[in-house]
Amino acid sequence: MSMEDGKKGARPAVDAAAVSRRTLMAAAGCSVALMGLGALKYAGTPAQLRPPGGQDEERLMAACIRCQKCFGACPRRIIVPAKLESGVLSVRTPVLSFDDSYCDWCAEENGGVPLCVSACPTEALHLPPEATAEKTIIGMAKIDQKTCLAFRDTGCRYCYDACPYDAIELRTDDGTNPRPYIIEDRCNGCGACESVCVSLTAGALASSASERAVVIRPIEKA
Amino acid sequence: MDKLRIAVSGGLFALLSIGIVAGLSTGTLSGFGWDAFSLLCPFGAVTSMIAAHLVVPRGVVSLVLMVAFIAVFGRAFCGWVCPVPLGKRISGFFKSANRRKVEQDERRERMLDIARHQLSCGTECSECASCKQRRAKLDSRHVVLGGALLSTVAFGFPVFCIVCPIGLAFATVLLVWRLFANGDVSILVVAVPALLVLEATLLRKWCARFCPLAAFMNLIGRFNRTFRPVIDESKCIESVSGRPCSRCSMVCEAEINVRHPEFGERTLDDCTRCRACVEACPAGALSLPLRSGRGVQEGPVTIEDNVDPSVLASKPAGE
Repeated sequence: MSMEDGKKGARPAVDAAAVSRRTLMAAAGCSVALMGLGALKYAGTPAQLRPPGGQDEERLMAACIRCQKCFGACPRRIIVPAKLESGVLSVRTPVLSFDDSYCDWCAEENGGVPLCVSACPTEALHLPPEATAEKTIIGMAKIDQKTCLAFRDTGCRYCYDACPYDAIELRTDDGTNPRPYIIEDRCNGCGACESVCVSLTAGALASSASERAVVIRPIEKA
Repeated sequence: MDKLRIAVSGGLFALLSIGIVAGLSTGTLSGFGWDAFSLLCPFGAVTSMIAAHLVVPRGVVSLVLMVAFIAVFGRAFCGWVCPVPLGKRISGFFKSANRRKVEQDERRERMLDIARHQLSCGTECSECASCKQRRAKLDSRHVVLGGALLSTVAFGFPVFCIVCPIGLAFATVLLVWRLFANGDVSILVVAVPALLVLEATLLRKWCARFCPLAAFMNLIGRFNRTFRPVIDESKCIESVSGRPCSRCSMVCEAEINVRHPEFGERTLDDCTRCRACVEACPAGALSLPLRSGRGVQEGPVTIEDNVDPSVLASKPAGE
């Protein structure tokens, strides 16, 4: 910038309209991008395993600001940030992972009041007053008979022993060792069975398996 | 003071990161607190409540507290708490010394030009249109703010939260920690920081030009009349000697021309209380007093009639 720009009477080129116009265009571009991001909602997202109080997917997505409080609030560390597979818009929202433990509504840690729900500052996780652990359906356990050790007649019954709701029964089919079956009416998707399933670690037989033999599946809304 | 600010914002970011790593439920700057006590990001609180059609007590309380804070301290959050300027420092660290110097000199010349222009202006201010405020009431940031709000209303969820750089910064900490502590491999460990870098490079001067949070604070900051920069005219080099100085304007982080506010990209409504101008003033003429009114008066500096024109072209004292 030369001295000429600063000559008497001449307005310095500092706020040259071109610069601010370009900035305005860029800002308008940002707005359009935000609208586009919002419109991704109609691309549809797969159903998720949500923490208690997050079963109303519409409400959770509307209120969650990705503050990450619930991840730390869960004493069992089963609430994890959703990944890209859950859909672009779900990324970083809370989902459940039953690798190490399961959800008992903080019965041991907080007398049956889920700590994630009380930690959520925007009430994205919210339980109606009459809600109970039994009736709040997180998902549904599904057994893969190809990888389940009990279906190889090993007599494995970890999931059966772990289920707090008696939602798994053992049946002997034609004189085989007992095999587990899910009683869907009783299963609320707490994840106790999945968290104890040893098929991946003990069942090197099923080398092609990428997940445990009993897995909680989200419930697809019709 | 500069170091103190890095310590405050960096320390807070580190503390909250430790909270994430230790698995405490302290949350992030988007939602900070324990148990029933919670301080929410004001913009997050607004968009979340609009989208969910809810009035959430913690959201309302946070909003009231934040508005009160902004009314007293303006955009101090941006200067003292927000981790985004820290990221800017880090990226600035990788700039070559040469490049940094060129940018600094450019800015210096620009500010001196403005100072010369105003100091050499012979006409009465009331008659001269060249220095008049031509600034629109709303700027590019408000366009982004509008887009974010519109998108939230149209699609029913807090859209901006997904790309908010503050949220992405804390998400990066969480994802990297989960990668090492839980062996949780996910493309997000790369994608989230990449998005952050993309935003920083594509949208340079994010804080002054695009940040909707800054736009939100600007709207409330307009009613702020405390702790704004005030120039003691009896000390200011430009006022006393008529020589261009404008050091205060050269160092401002918020793109404010402190000495000649009508020429800044932003006005004093956007002061982040970083105190850089106070420290840069060679004459000690600047302060941020409790009762500052509107701060530095808008309009040209008044100087004596008999200023030697030769000094106008000279560099300020001490260079």
